[in-house]
Amino acid sequence: MSTSPENPDRALLAWAKDRYPIGKFVEWAKHKTVPVGRGAFWYYFGGISLFLFLIQVGTGILLMFYYKGSADTAFESVRFISAKVPFGWLVRSVHAWSANLMILSVFIHMFSVFFMRAYRKPRELTWISGLVLLALLLGFGFSGYLLPWNELAFFATKVGTDIVGVIPLIGEPIMYVLRGGEDVSGSTLPRFFALHVAFFPALLTVFIAAHLFFIQMQGIHEPEAWEAHPEQRKTMPFFPHFFMRELLLWLITLNIVAVLAVFFPAELGIEADPFSSAPAGIKPEWYFLSTFEFLKYMPAHVGPLEGEEFGLLLISLGFLLWCLVPWIDRGRSRRITTIVMVTGVAILVFLTILTYRGFAA
Amino acid sequence: MTKLFTMTLVMISVTLASTALADDLPGGNCLECHLTIDDGVGELWQDDVHALAGIGCDACHGGDWTQDHSDLAKRPGTGFRGELSAREIVSSCGGCHGDVEYMKERKPLLPVDQLEKYWTSEHGKLLVKGETRVAQCASCHGAHGVREVNDAKSPVYASNVPATCGGCHGDAEYMSDFDIKTTQYDEYVQSVHGKALLEKNDVRGAPACNDCHGNHGAAPPSIDAITNICGTCHSYNAELFLGSPLAPAFKEKSLADCVACHGKHLIRHVADEWEGDKPGATCRKCHEQGEEGSELALYFTDTFGSVRESFDDIEQLLGEAEVKGMDVTEGEDYVEAARQGLMQARTLMHSFSKPVMEEKVSEIAANQAAALEVGYAALQGLKDRRRGLAISTLLLLLLTLGVAIKIRTLPPLD
Repeated sequence: MSTSPENPDRALLAWAKDRYPIGKFVEWAKHKTVPVGRGAFWYYFGGISLFLFLIQVGTGILLMFYYKGSADTAFESVRFISAKVPFGWLVRSVHAWSANLMILSVFIHMFSVFFMRAYRKPRELTWISGLVLLALLLGFGFSGYLLPWNELAFFATKVGTDIVGVIPLIGEPIMYVLRGGEDVSGSTLPRFFALHVAFFPALLTVFIAAHLFFIQMQGIHEPEAWEAHPEQRKTMPFFPHFFMRELLLWLITLNIVAVLAVFFPAELGIEADPFSSAPAGIKPEWYFLSTFEFLKYMPAHVGPLEGEEFGLLLISLGFLLWCLVPWIDRGRSRRITTIVMVTGVAILVFLTILTYRGFAA
Repeated sequence: MTKLFTMTLVMISVTLASTALADDLPGGNCLECHLTIDDGVGELWQDDVHALAGIGCDACHGGDWTQDHSDLAKRPGTGFRGELSAREIVSSCGGCHGDVEYMKERKPLLPVDQLEKYWTSEHGKLLVKGETRVAQCASCHGAHGVREVNDAKSPVYASNVPATCGGCHGDAEYMSDFDIKTTQYDEYVQSVHGKALLEKNDVRGAPACNDCHGNHGAAPPSIDAITNICGTCHSYNAELFLGSPLAPAFKEKSLADCVACHGKHLIRHVADEWEGDKPGATCRKCHEQGEEGSELALYFTDTFGSVRESFDDIEQLLGEAEVKGMDVTEGEDYVEAARQGLMQARTLMHSFSKPVMEEKVSEIAANQAAALEVGYAALQGLKDRRRGLAISTLLLLLLTLGVAIKIRTLPPLD
């Protein structure tokens, strides 16, 4: 195929088509569809999560231009970003707010997938990769929280890593590695920084790619009712119909982030002092509040285990069962499906109540 | 067999250990007897520094501690002295503590001039005159339970000193024959020094009675000594005062430098009302309204008052900006610098010099102005942010509308 010097756009396309199977991709994209129905709105949250992640990457890179990841300099560098760097406050606030909204969006995405039973065969690995992504994002949030090196983050990290240390056998070595010693100290900060800007992004990129790959391979889950009533089946093309709607929500999301960043900019507080006593009211980020509260309600001892050990065991077992949901509910027994769905509602209510109690405490 | 051997070994060890413990404390049969009678001596002796140093009862009381019966232990010829009189206590303690050679062998870092100083104290002088109700060594240190001065249980540990002194000096009945006020302790506990020592437990920084009056040479300081005594801690204030025009004037009028304005035991935080020319103000004690000194006092009051008012305005402004989410830490740094400046100004006041004060006040004013600037800039920044948000929202809205219109123009779904 020859290029056309009169029309450079077409010339570029022709040049690419000459070398890569672009035609096949365009053809695939043209035929890619998304189900239309009552629950279609929830499909958008996967894309919103991805959009917020892209904001995180962009603002994170900008913050790294000025952030200095050591205990002596971190707080002052964040203060400098907030007070002196042009639009530094905006970048930092957008980074903080989009992180929170992203985790919220991922939770909504996960529960919508759960209640639409989209985890069932053949999408088991999509479900598992999604849960890994959630765990990685929580790790992102936990490691990023310490980076401003303020008092609140310092003691919240101390409490958080204490909880890790409770895990039998492996807990203490993990805690030691995370902290870079016995206690949270100046040695902890570079480790968290490295986790936040290198370790988690690398893993997250791999799992996002895998998650998207599975979705593209298998298509988006369709409502179960359509299997019995194929005549009800209704879809829309991904390009441009679904994509334009997704874009619309991205714009609205961006505006929400901007409003939050302007009216509720990220606070800095006072610099961490490892030798001071913990201030009252130390709380983790909202997405860890339910775990924090749950462990608070544990008795001192349960059998041979310490209360916190027992609580962590319960949470780990719960998470394992949550991962195994595609194999527990295969759609063969209505009774099992009902039990799984009721359990899902109970978990959602339980998490909401615990989070609320954590806020109110 | 092995079990029997082990048990025997353990029993021997326990017996030997208890014997060794009993042998640790000197006192011999005196102690054994005094532990059985309810006079508290045996109990107190357990923690006494002398007992722990191996000094026995006979060192102060004489007697023969090797005898099984008290009559034999106290019989004539043993040098038994029984309960010591005030004079005997001083001589007995001073006998060792004033002996350089003796103390060098046992406690080389401990001073040996206690006795010498004691005789210069009011307590010592009265004792010489035959007054036995005065404080002697045991009155403050205790008799049989003497502890190290840095032991928190010792009656002469810094935070216990006011109560120890106050035990006599706060007892109006006990002191009735001595023509001394008995309000010192009550005044002291309300003072800045008392609060720092007794409430904040600042045993290293806050002075107790002995820090101003001396320990063994305790006496009311002379007028000339006041600046030196207060200046031990407040050295810059003292230096400024001694270089000020007030120092010779005070000397001429026989006024006790620091005490003349700040008082003695009831020393409180300085308030702006102290200065100025209103009746009751400290400066009015010497300066009549309209005098040069009164004018200076008025300048100090007005200056400090206006600086304080400015702080209120600044904090209101910075608080407003902070509540609205603006970063004002830089402004807070300026406020901190200005506050430190005010603290320095309070010290500089002791120079009683208007030019010196004006220089410091201009520094404070510069920091306050910078803080105000940060506050105003923050509020302006807030307006700019909201304006920027309004513009970006408008743009995003237009884009959203564009996308919505585009969606409506897409071919309908099947």
